[in-house]
Amino acid sequence: MSTKPYRTAIAASVLTLFASGALAETVAVITPYLAQPGTQFYVEAFEGRAAELGWDVNVIDTGGDVAAVISRIEDVVTQGVDAIVINVDPAQVGAGLQAAADAGVPVVGMDAGSDPLLVANVTSNGYAMAVETSVYVANRIGGAGNVVMFTFDPFPPVQVRGVIADAVFANYPDITVLDRITPDVSDGGIADSRAQMEAILAANPEAGSISAVWAAWDQPALGALQAIEAAGREGEGIVITGIDANPQARDAIAQGGNFEASVAQDFAGIGATAADTVARILAGEDIVASVIYVPTVLITSANVTE
Amino acid sequence: MSALFRRFGSLIGMAAIVVFFALALPDTFMTARNWLNISQQISMLAVVAAVMTVVMVMGDFDLSVGSMASLAGVVAAVLFVQGWSVPAALAAAIGVGLIGGLFNGVLVSVIGILPFVATLATLTVYSGAAFLVSDGKTIFGRDIPATFSDFARSGMALGDIDGRPAIFPALSLVALAVTAIVWVVLEQTSYGRRLYAIGGNAEAARLAGVPVTVLRLSAFAFTGVGAAIAGLMYASRVASANPVQGDGLMLTAIAAVFLGMTLTENGQPRVLATLAGVVVLGVLDNGLTQMSVDSYVREVLVGAIILIAVSASALGRRGLFGR
Repeated sequence: MSTKPYRTAIAASVLTLFASGALAETVAVITPYLAQPGTQFYVEAFEGRAAELGWDVNVIDTGGDVAAVISRIEDVVTQGVDAIVINVDPAQVGAGLQAAADAGVPVVGMDAGSDPLLVANVTSNGYAMAVETSVYVANRIGGAGNVVMFTFDPFPPVQVRGVIADAVFANYPDITVLDRITPDVSDGGIADSRAQMEAILAANPEAGSISAVWAAWDQPALGALQAIEAAGREGEGIVITGIDANPQARDAIAQGGNFEASVAQDFAGIGATAADTVARILAGEDIVASVIYVPTVLITSANVTE
Repeated sequence: MSALFRRFGSLIGMAAIVVFFALALPDTFMTARNWLNISQQISMLAVVAAVMTVVMVMGDFDLSVGSMASLAGVVAAVLFVQGWSVPAALAAAIGVGLIGGLFNGVLVSVIGILPFVATLATLTVYSGAAFLVSDGKTIFGRDIPATFSDFARSGMALGDIDGRPAIFPALSLVALAVTAIVWVVLEQTSYGRRLYAIGGNAEAARLAGVPVTVLRLSAFAFTGVGAAIAGLMYASRVASANPVQGDGLMLTAIAAVFLGMTLTENGQPRVLATLAGVVVLGVLDNGLTQMSVDSYVREVLVGAIILIAVSASALGRRGLFGR
């Protein structure tokens, strides 16, 4: 058997590889979480924008294996990609980020968390999300009334939301924060929030004594809704808001009850903006702001079905 | 020629994979830096596969190695959180591996449960224990001492390669050390020869005076300790621990041992052949990633290559390739 045709075939495929490498920028997207819906939205939007920009994108899913993310970062650094995008906690893949930094390959986080080894992290602005709902509450109750807050300060991304709501409500002289509750989240947060809300309802039995419930995420808002409905007080016009717009919250908002508003992250926007950020880096721009925020959307009965 | 192919077909196939990547990735694959990377990437798998070889020599399996690796990682991390020193926490985690391995050994050799069933059950037990110990959470950040996570980034200085300092990774050194120990135990001691005798024919070994029960029990202890070490290596590499992170090691380790068995003269598990199997799996991941092959296609290819190697070896032994 002659080996010549085989050798020619390999040479041809090598040439093809070179040719494709020379024409387009290559960008690797590496995540252990591709099976999760949110991640799929990011990655699809990233790929869409990258296709417009004419890049070669290699999406690598390690199926939950974080150590393999480090290995694949090392591999694509060796391969010589122009940029890497990760969707994983940067603190866990520090060894890979260091390898990329040593080789001068820029790494962008797609809702990954901040890290000195990332050129930038593209994510949603927790402060801004809290502004949307706390201002919605203040306007909806005409700047006057008693408000119950559900917060969770031990978790930094949620703590920032509480800080903003505190400031907004303090800015209205006629709004009183009746209670600022930190629910027990070990069971998911709905059940304990419901129990705490039932106690508050019992302590404030008169109609109109509670104007609104502002929750730093959706679970306590859903718990409060259950408590209000169970107490038969859904007709008092108590306004409830959450944040994150999870499917249960969207259902509640669509039904037109007390749960009136939540805030949705723009996953596709995060993916597309991550691609735009890579494009800016590849164009030689110095990225000064290491956290890049993508606007979020207030979800109410007006747009919940969209 | 055909006899040569029958004997060394798998080795030739493995070499062909390396040659293929060397040709397809001329600038990056056959570099010292890439091979140092590969050695580090496969280090955890190498440890699990080496100790898996110890039980597979006797014709047994240990399906619990992956969950034991996860358990050891979270045990160490939880002890870090409680203020234990790094050496004390690591010793405790390896102690958990020893106890878990001995427990497997008792189930298989004293009680006499099939290894597949016994270790399938302990897989679930150790995995549940890992969730219990960690409360289902990932332990990371300030809770993990820097001396522990820095270990995976350290190594033996090798001077500069392409103008940048290079190291022989510490994790690779651990993998080499474990492989060397397993090699000495299996190939150079009467203990190891007796394990092979059990694998050949347990009843005959027993009649010949080999203490089969004790040996099988001790072999599983080996595997438990090795799995715990691999779990700690993993935790150090990702500077964190969660209750499932080592789970994937089990099937890949068994695959590596099977790949290695295609290399040996009579199809017995040999630890150096296992190491060759581990290297091939690592090279496939590394090379196919560098060639931008889709990660799911990569998985299909890796599985197909294992099947081809094992089938070729089986056909070769049956003499279908002629004598």
